[in-house]
Amino acid sequence: MRKGVLEMCILSIIAEEEAYPSDIIQRLKKDELIVAEGTMYPLLTRLKNAGLLNYNWRESTSGPPRKYYQITSEGQAFLSGLIKTWNQLVHAVTESTKNYQAR
Amino acid sequence: MNKVFNINLGGYPFTIDEDAYQHLSDYLTTIHNHFRSSEGYEEITADIEARLAEIFQEQLTGRPIVTTKEVDAAIAIMGTPEDFGAESIEDEATYRDDHHSGSDASYKTGKRLFRNPDDEVVGGVCSGIAAYFGIEDPLWIRLAWILLTLSGGFGIPVYIILWIIVPKAESASDRLSMRGETINVSNIGKIIEEEMDNFSERMSSFGDELSGLKKKDLEKEMNMTPEVPLRKGYHC
Repeated sequence: MRKGVLEMCILSIIAEEEAYPSDIIQRLKKDELIVAEGTMYPLLTRLKNAGLLNYNWRESTSGPPRKYYQITSEGQAFLSGLIKTWNQLVHAVTESTKNYQAR
Repeated sequence: MNKVFNINLGGYPFTIDEDAYQHLSDYLTTIHNHFRSSEGYEEITADIEARLAEIFQEQLTGRPIVTTKEVDAAIAIMGTPEDFGAESIEDEATYRDDHHSGSDASYKTGKRLFRNPDDEVVGGVCSGIAAYFGIEDPLWIRLAWILLTLSGGFGIPVYIILWIIVPKAESASDRLSMRGETINVSNIGKIIEEEMDNFSERMSSFGDELSGLKKKDLEKEMNMTPEVPLRKGYHC
């Protein structure tokens, strides 16, 4: 469950604009979704191997060349599917808990 | 004064002092073991090493040598395999399955019979057997043993033989294989936590007993080995 949610967040961030893993981490950290940067690499590699992401090497001023990830059209389709499922889930959960929350 | 090493991390040369080198190489070993049987292992670890190299470069402004301070800071950013486990990115089920293909980070040992030192009345044989068969409460085994003793008289000699030939579960990994659990970093962590709980429990019950004793009894109590007297339980 958590895994799917993180994938959705990462794909959405990359869908906005191509991103470097540590930039993605900064955003997720800010929202307290993830803390350790090392968790990202296996996830990105898996998404890339599944054909949902692509990457480019970019020279960097502060060290080795960086991998910048981009979303593929397949990734776009997958992401909209995920978001649709997510919204259905949020709706279902909100509906079934709203009476209790309103108390 | 410290010895220094020259290393190649993610394709970049670094000069690193001896302690920091040891620390970094231990860390990388745990990372490699953690991902060894993951899909894309080489790519993941290469990405992590490249990122570590970048973090070092960012930190080393003006100073040429990587010390433990930089290594600690980089590890804090990257996180340890325990952190990865806690954030449970990896699908647990597929992760375990992957690991069956023989890695040293995590492997199923198969169950082994051990004597359980955490829950023993005499020698921990009964609770070891209970753990082996996945029975929650060793009381059932103990009752069966008593029946065996009463009905045929074999119970006591067999118990003594098992006590002698079955090894005691000494290490965390022994305890995991006693219960047939997979050995990996997070499970060993779990065992260690249990152990700490156990220890503090034992200390507080010891404290209670002490406070209940009169002073002259105290000395006598202190001379006893803490093997059995702290636990009261069913007799087997």
